[in-house]
Amino acid sequence: MATVVWLHGGACNGNTQSFLNAEEPTVVDLVTDFGIDIIYHHSCIPLMGEQAKSTLMGVLEKGGPDIFVMEGTVIQGPGGSGRYDMFLGRPMMEWVRDYAASAAFVVAIGDCASWGGVPATAPNPTDSIGLQYLKGQHGGFLGKDFRSKAGLPVINIPGCPAHPDWVTQVLVAVASGRLSDIALDDLQRPATFFKTFTQTGCTRHQYFEFKQSVKEFGQGTRSGCLFYEQGCRGSFTHSPCNRILWNRQSSKTRAGMPCIGCTEPQFPHHDLAVGTVFKTPLAFDVVPKELPQGTDPISYSAQAALARAVAPKWVQEDMFVV
Amino acid sequence: MGQVVQLDVGAVGRVEGDLDVRVTLDDGVVVDAWTEASMFRGFEIILKGKDPQAGLIVTPRICGICGGSHLYKACYALDTAWATEVPPNATLIRNIAQACETLQSIPRYYYALFAIDFVNKAYAKTSMFDELVKRNSPFVGTSYEPAVQVSAKPVEVYALLGGQWPHSSFMVPGGVMCAPTLSDVTRSLALLEYWRTNWLEPIWLGCSAERWMENKSWDDVMAWLDENESHRNSDCGLFIRFCQEAGLDKIGRGPGKYITGGTYYDPEHYTHPTIDGRNAAVIQQSGIFDGKNFHPFDQSRIREDHTNSFFRGSGALHPFDGVTDPIDPAEGKRENKYSWAKSPRYDVPGMGYIPLETGPLARQISSAQTGGGAWQDTDPLFLDVFNKIGPSVFTRLLARMHEAPKYYLRVKDWLGQLDLKEKFYIKPQELPDAQGFGGTESARGTLCDWIRIENGKIANYQVVTPTAWNIGPRDGKGNRGPIEEALVGTPVKNNDDPLELGIIARSYDSCLVCTVHAYDAKTHKEIARYRTGALV
Repeated sequence: MATVVWLHGGACNGNTQSFLNAEEPTVVDLVTDFGIDIIYHHSCIPLMGEQAKSTLMGVLEKGGPDIFVMEGTVIQGPGGSGRYDMFLGRPMMEWVRDYAASAAFVVAIGDCASWGGVPATAPNPTDSIGLQYLKGQHGGFLGKDFRSKAGLPVINIPGCPAHPDWVTQVLVAVASGRLSDIALDDLQRPATFFKTFTQTGCTRHQYFEFKQSVKEFGQGTRSGCLFYEQGCRGSFTHSPCNRILWNRQSSKTRAGMPCIGCTEPQFPHHDLAVGTVFKTPLAFDVVPKELPQGTDPISYSAQAALARAVAPKWVQEDMFVV
Repeated sequence: MGQVVQLDVGAVGRVEGDLDVRVTLDDGVVVDAWTEASMFRGFEIILKGKDPQAGLIVTPRICGICGGSHLYKACYALDTAWATEVPPNATLIRNIAQACETLQSIPRYYYALFAIDFVNKAYAKTSMFDELVKRNSPFVGTSYEPAVQVSAKPVEVYALLGGQWPHSSFMVPGGVMCAPTLSDVTRSLALLEYWRTNWLEPIWLGCSAERWMENKSWDDVMAWLDENESHRNSDCGLFIRFCQEAGLDKIGRGPGKYITGGTYYDPEHYTHPTIDGRNAAVIQQSGIFDGKNFHPFDQSRIREDHTNSFFRGSGALHPFDGVTDPIDPAEGKRENKYSWAKSPRYDVPGMGYIPLETGPLARQISSAQTGGGAWQDTDPLFLDVFNKIGPSVFTRLLARMHEAPKYYLRVKDWLGQLDLKEKFYIKPQELPDAQGFGGTESARGTLCDWIRIENGKIANYQVVTPTAWNIGPRDGKGNRGPIEEALVGTPVKNNDDPLELGIIARSYDSCLVCTVHAYDAKTHKEIARYRTGALV
């Protein structure tokens, strides 16, 4: 049994919508079978106005919930007042401060709550910040030394949005007392999901091995890897997108869309500068500026030249045919 | 003059950001209303100076519920700017994906966000209350659980085409990123059939999608209701009977004037997207309905007024020249500003710049226009409903639910038209200086982008959302926004639980979590503690 209070700050509700797509278990299963007691969630629980306020104040007075879930950035603007985001008569950031201090576990769902995400993109007009990070910088709204009552830092479940399974499994782990089974990585993400790369399990991996590019979108994606021209970040982004498929069906890279690195703190990368959207920035017009994790330009170039030289004939052919 | 009070209701909307609704009551009837969006994120500021295609990544993240619709129109803004050629397959894929997002939204909105209010004890005395509690209670309702569950299926189709839902960016100027295979098409059809056979027909309609679509008038709907027990006892039948008994067909009239930008392009008639070519190419028709007559939709007649919004200064600008310059709400309140939403207005011929309602009711009224291309959806039902019983919470909801069978049939047809051996993308030339407009109809209404590109960067980017059309505040002339207008005249039975106000606001399915506040209008003292949707 675990009580949950879910608040949303500078958010699009995408993590909630993603969460509602969950199966095995579904959101309904979480409530009816897994002992998740959702006390407040803006979309799922029919409370508003004074009843919402008295419920939320009441939980704080009784010592806080087991799990505080934050969706969206903490909006600090203008001028540190938090008045760009008011909730039930108070700046949302004050509710966040109270709930983070009172909950046994604090979970940041999605990029916005984890690192600031899209709203914190330069020039960050709302002074948005993640719970314990701002982009890659440790600290965030709660400070780098923050620990929840259970002694843990904020558990980050990033992604824009987070996959529902990543969320439900962490909630169930807390509710069933198995959280100790989950290790957090150096960005406070559950390692079980974020140790692998987005590329792990990508159907285009054979084309990556032999350095064969996707020539163009659409019909062009019937063969090739999106790393060389379309700016795919799958070889240096950590996520299980090609292990735990999206909507039980597919992933962006399988469907022909380059990974945009949305589980990493710097998303959206390069602040969406000209030439960085769906294009691979190149050094000296040949070598991608950003390389697979742990690779340097010289060894990359040597391996690429060799791979192209030894590439079998079939890599020139379409694989994902009708 | 009776007792004059004011109500403030908070957290009304249930999606992103918060909406506070403030009303003044005179003798139990709403005499004035203010809708206050209470969050600012600054997406238009973020987009300035960025890569021209940044809107494909950023704008879907304005709204996680209709992100696919944001992507669709952001893409057409670039298509018109760069004068691309879009192959018919790509138009079909874009249509299928966005319509599937709407097929997801309909049951999810109805059961998870709207009908949970039917189990409020305020309705305990209605004859259908026990049945409503059985079916619609959150999490445990016999319809709630399967319907919320099945709502995830149409977006599995989206994932097959775009990789994931929400927040794919797989539509790009010139087409789409994907090239589906036959198994993707077959699975998509199977997922749609699952949605139809597990919710649409057995739970919602009690009949086939085709049978429901035979209803062409309000009298047909009434005859359908009485045709058999299966219709009467379906969730749709129960919904119609309950709304009539509870008076939801009498409240929330709104401005009675509508805007629809139209959407779903015919694949053969929009291969070279232009702003001027939109109206003729859309399958879901565009149009302005002034209560009597239709006028063609023309984006150049739109202005965004920010007189009462927390942005610097006052006035109304066309979105190509739009400015997003936020101020501290504390400062804004001193100038009587009260919302983060701007007030979109449309210059209706003969009427000047006025507020218009957008959404499914607007769309389905617009569908009654005749004389367009053979590919356009022509459907007289909701103009007839509008004329016979008038707009209300009920009419608005019925129009939304009418789109479930309608768009299901369309998506199936579009899937059948795909030519898998043909192109899905034609690489465009990226013009460094250009401007474009893209529009669509998200589940909750007209959604448009205006982009100006200069020196290869975004010089200005403005988004006008359906939520802004509907929840926007008063304009500089003092005209109320549509939801404000819809609240006026509403009798509130119980000041301690003015449920009617939440239901009216939510009938617009705005993307905000709403809050309602209650005050005595004479003393400005808060008198009511609002709550709604309390579980019994």
